[in-house]
Amino acid sequence: MTAATVSGVTQIARTGYSRLDIPDEPDLDRMRREVSARLQAAMADHGVDVLVLLGNSNVIYATGISWPLADAGLSHIERPVAVVVAGDEHPHLFLPFREGSASESGLPADHLNGPVYLEFEEGVGDFARILGRLLPAGATIAVDELTGAMRRAGSALFPTEPVDAAPVIGAAKLVKTIDQISCIRRACQITEQAVAEIQKSLVPGVRQIDLSAEFVRRTFELGATTNMFDSIWQVMPTSKAAGTWTTTGDLALPLLTTEREVAEGDVLWTDVSIAYRGYCSDHGRTWIVGQDPTPAQQAQFDKWRTIVDAVLSVTKAGASCGDLGRAATAAAGGQKPWLPHFYLGHGIGTSAAEMPMIGTDLGQEWDDNFVFPAGMLLVFEPVVWEDGTGGYRGEEIVVVTDDGWMPLTAYPYDPYEVSNGN
Amino acid sequence: MGTEIEADGRALRLSRRARAIAQMEAHDLDILVLGRQANVRYISGAPQLWVVGTRPFGPICSYVRATGEIHLNSTWDEGIPEEIPHENLYGFAWNPMTLVGIMAKMKGADTARRVGTDALTPMFAKLLPMVFPQAELVDAEPAMRAARRVKTSEEIAALRRALTVAEEALAKGAAELTPGTTEQHLAGVILEAEAAGGVSTPATQDAAWVTSKDHPWRRERGDGTVRAGDLVALSAGVLADGYVAEVARTFYIGEPTDAVRSLYRRRDHLWDRLIDACRPGNPASALLDAYAQAGEPLPAMPVAHGLGLGFDPPVVSPALRATAERDVLADGNVLAVTGYVWEPGVGAVFTRDAVVIGADGPTVLTQTSKGAW
Repeated sequence: MTAATVSGVTQIARTGYSRLDIPDEPDLDRMRREVSARLQAAMADHGVDVLVLLGNSNVIYATGISWPLADAGLSHIERPVAVVVAGDEHPHLFLPFREGSASESGLPADHLNGPVYLEFEEGVGDFARILGRLLPAGATIAVDELTGAMRRAGSALFPTEPVDAAPVIGAAKLVKTIDQISCIRRACQITEQAVAEIQKSLVPGVRQIDLSAEFVRRTFELGATTNMFDSIWQVMPTSKAAGTWTTTGDLALPLLTTEREVAEGDVLWTDVSIAYRGYCSDHGRTWIVGQDPTPAQQAQFDKWRTIVDAVLSVTKAGASCGDLGRAATAAAGGQKPWLPHFYLGHGIGTSAAEMPMIGTDLGQEWDDNFVFPAGMLLVFEPVVWEDGTGGYRGEEIVVVTDDGWMPLTAYPYDPYEVSNGN
Repeated sequence: MGTEIEADGRALRLSRRARAIAQMEAHDLDILVLGRQANVRYISGAPQLWVVGTRPFGPICSYVRATGEIHLNSTWDEGIPEEIPHENLYGFAWNPMTLVGIMAKMKGADTARRVGTDALTPMFAKLLPMVFPQAELVDAEPAMRAARRVKTSEEIAALRRALTVAEEALAKGAAELTPGTTEQHLAGVILEAEAAGGVSTPATQDAAWVTSKDHPWRRERGDGTVRAGDLVALSAGVLADGYVAEVARTFYIGEPTDAVRSLYRRRDHLWDRLIDACRPGNPASALLDAYAQAGEPLPAMPVAHGLGLGFDPPVVSPALRATAERDVLADGNVLAVTGYVWEPGVGAVFTRDAVVIGADGPTVLTQTSKGAW
């Protein structure tokens, strides 16, 4: 591939650029086997014998099933539940009618169960009877959520006080297998293809919500399973002072999409995400409606790409969150180039944002102690801002490798120019 | 939707909070600590970023009975009602100790005796006693469910608006039903129409599928292509101004055979009994019994659930028979009622409507024809 045909982050950063052999389509059986091995290892490390998982993203991770997720208000009632027992490579799956397909799970028949309704005492009672047969005596149990009915059931459900499953599943999720990376790359490709079509239709007078409508239509036609959050097409204010009030005194993001028509010269910060086979994309760019950037606006982009280049030049296995935060801040001239209520970057997987977060209230010591393993994914989203320009924000997803990083995104920066690209 | 992000109307906010306060008194709760999107919207009246699926419990919204004060996780004030002042807003936190520090400053936190949460994690079970040193932590869901269960006229108006968008989207999907189209295309059309209709937040995204001829409820494992002779289910669900509307219809592709006509007649026969069961004073299990009376086996999914801000009570499922027998339908309940009939070699006819239970009998809110083919 020549420099003229590449687009995206490799136009602006080269140091540490590396390539991994990632399959075009995931091998789902291999993915389930390898994830199961990671989960079993994390359970052993944390001394956990049984994992009980209710959260959608955790069940997707542990079982490899995927389904078009429902609104939060619906999904806590009718939801798949997974039970992972130490030493058993297959999770037990409790599956409602509309969420997923048992035949896709690759699970043996004796691990497949009908739905359980853990919001209700009757449902918890049914679950307790099945769980009782799976629990070894004296087992240490970890759970990711306790409904009221589960709390009231007490020792009738969990003979010993359960511990939090978040550290166990977080440890397993941190490093992705090549098939998980394949899913995420495919999700990014679907997203970018749809976004490219939308960007062409961005003209003065288009409503924000029309962009959302076109996005969901195209991504589903291209194979998306789920729209992960309400698409963001935020019109940026002319100055921080003119923007929405915030607890931090800095910019508000993300503000919700409405029927507002975008106008010539509006600067939009975009943020969208879909899932493919349960794994998420996360995509953000800055657009200008109907105009080319002014020199001041182009300078914002140039500063942003300098920051991305600086961050990627220190990104590799063995680096820490703290190393990346320092590189970004130095490249930005001493100011932290991210919003104080967010982060410089985050992980991604069955959720659009997962650990680690870089530059949050977890603190500098936490950032310095968080050392990257190879195979971890990061989404960078630095922000630069100068009143009168609309600023620049974009997102880039990379895999951390032994020697550097491999991009999973390849979206151009139009209407901004990549001058003097590498 | 309009072009501004605005809080829910004042009358709606106040009427919902009055019902919540009554339930807090009935359940002896001093403070509610809520993490679920629907509960947070119910109390705060503030639209927030919609994120799909379940979320881990975290303290997003607290409601103090003694003072009526609301504390809300929001970094900005756009769409935040006037009665929630800036000093009661707090931004995202990744360090749970940050949240503990913020919440411990709430007036009443140090003296609260009973604090209700709508879910919990083992981590927050350890941390919340640091915020509420005197309090017993209990389940707030029974109080929230009781408050949300009966709908006011303002809520029913909101449900009707949501339903209109869902029905228009379903009609757009139905217009694309021809041999050779795909489930993915149909889902894309329905979700696009919902957004273009003003609702970019779908309640459900499982929008189109070819029903199985071989199994009562499993999906066809084909390539997603719609063919002549298929029964195709279309389902549209939206979340508009916080309220969920759902509608589903099943369409036959081609000129119906006698077997297909017979299956739709079975659906009609079942449907009459389902609607007739929607009367105040009936146990919710009357909807399960309607299947038996019609001679139809119970399906794998709930046959009805309350509509409101998500799943409201009751949830009427074959797996929750005893719960449904104790649950009595009341004037002002709104149900999504599901009819599901299946015939080997033919497929399934899946139908879902919104039904208000009133003193004078059931009112079907859905306008879409039950059309057969």
